[in-house]
Amino acid sequence: MDVSIIIEALPPLLKATVITILLAVVSIVIALILGFFTALARIGKLKLLKFIGTVYVSMFRGTPLLVQLFVIYYGLPQINIELDPIPSGILALSLNAGAYLSESFRAAILAVDKGQTEAAVSMGMTYGEAMRRIILPQSIRIAIPTLSNTYIILIKDTSLVSVITVTELLQMSTLIIAKTFEPLTIYLVAAVLYWIVITFFTVLLDRFEKRTSRHLIS
Amino acid sequence: MEVIKLQNIKKSFGENEVLSDINLTINKSEVVVIMGPSGSGKSTLLRCVTFLEEPDGGVVKLGEHEVRAGEPLNKQRKKSLRALRQNTGFVFQQFNLFPHKTALENVMEGPIVIKKVRRDIAKRNGVALLEKVGLADRMDHYPVQLSGGQQQRVAIARALSMEPMVMLYDEPTSALDPELVREVLQVMKDLAKEGMTMIVVTHEMTFARDVADRVILMDDGVIVEEGSSDAIFNHPKEERTKRFLRDVGQQKV
Repeated sequence: MDVSIIIEALPPLLKATVITILLAVVSIVIALILGFFTALARIGKLKLLKFIGTVYVSMFRGTPLLVQLFVIYYGLPQINIELDPIPSGILALSLNAGAYLSESFRAAILAVDKGQTEAAVSMGMTYGEAMRRIILPQSIRIAIPTLSNTYIILIKDTSLVSVITVTELLQMSTLIIAKTFEPLTIYLVAAVLYWIVITFFTVLLDRFEKRTSRHLIS
Repeated sequence: MEVIKLQNIKKSFGENEVLSDINLTINKSEVVVIMGPSGSGKSTLLRCVTFLEEPDGGVVKLGEHEVRAGEPLNKQRKKSLRALRQNTGFVFQQFNLFPHKTALENVMEGPIVIKKVRRDIAKRNGVALLEKVGLADRMDHYPVQLSGGQQQRVAIARALSMEPMVMLYDEPTSALDPELVREVLQVMKDLAKEGMTMIVVTHEMTFARDVADRVILMDDGVIVEEGSSDAIFNHPKEERTKRFLRDVGQQKV
């Protein structure tokens, strides 16, 4: 192993790591919004919304992310929807993670004790007020551990986007290896970078979980 | 003056009839205790009063508000349901305090969200209510930091925060350790003395004897007997009432 190769490869790899983080952060934000509203749709009373939500979740949990990526990037141009590689990647990642998150949110909302809704409603709150003020704040805390998990998987899944020519961390590593013929060194460096990124976010989310659980410590 | 009137309240869960045609009128400042063996329908009746459980049939009247069972949930009905609920304070067996809010925030929540009361005013009223239930020094504690008895007293303060016309208690002391029961009953007693109209579902016979203006015995979804606490405890007419009192040890075997 040659240290000079690592030093030389590091700047482009770090730059690619930024792309990876960007993909992950933008996708998770969209996925959170998507997952949240899908969960509400599936819990709610409107049959049509419930149906759409169920079909969406079933489709995106029931097919491989790589296939979803190919359909969006290579398939859609056939019906004249052409998206650049990065938007394609973000779309696939967020639709995929959104489906998983909607299930976490749904479970978290249903996990809040029924007595909470009853207490809110019995005072005269509307269903919406009870949701907003009482149920959701409690379900977010319940959802954080699984949300963390989904986010970690999402960060790793960004590496799949390399197959549609996005120069994120994995794609950049492959490009560098093509020039240096040092696959072991470069892929290990890439692995360490992934690990650092994921550890950083794990710690961050752990702290967030502790903060939202303050009221549970007697 | 009548405050609350239940007419022909019926409720079944599947094949199982829990309430069959209950009629009940409660006057201002009256304290009514409902007793009965478990499964007699007393909790369901209380929950039907505020439509936490929708009755299959019947009418609930509270002051000028009236809600009829089984009507479609349109805007008008939602409004009258809300009015009914805002004017009834419900106290649960399991307290159901909001765990992510402090004692004071629990008591401020209803006035701020529902009545759109200004925050500083809600706070002042909230502190006063917590003082009333003897917990002003605990107002910044979260529910998990309070004992069961303290939690239930906060829950009573929370129900009072909406300035209800009537308070409904669903076995308020059943989830408490024996040594914590008294402090909750004391708060309820004080409220009764101030003239609060109350319906209490409870197994606390001493409370029923001392505080109730009227005692109702329910069994199998019907009101078996009702009368003053003296009449029910000392001169019960119905065989069913005598048996119940024997079972709970309030009458010599």
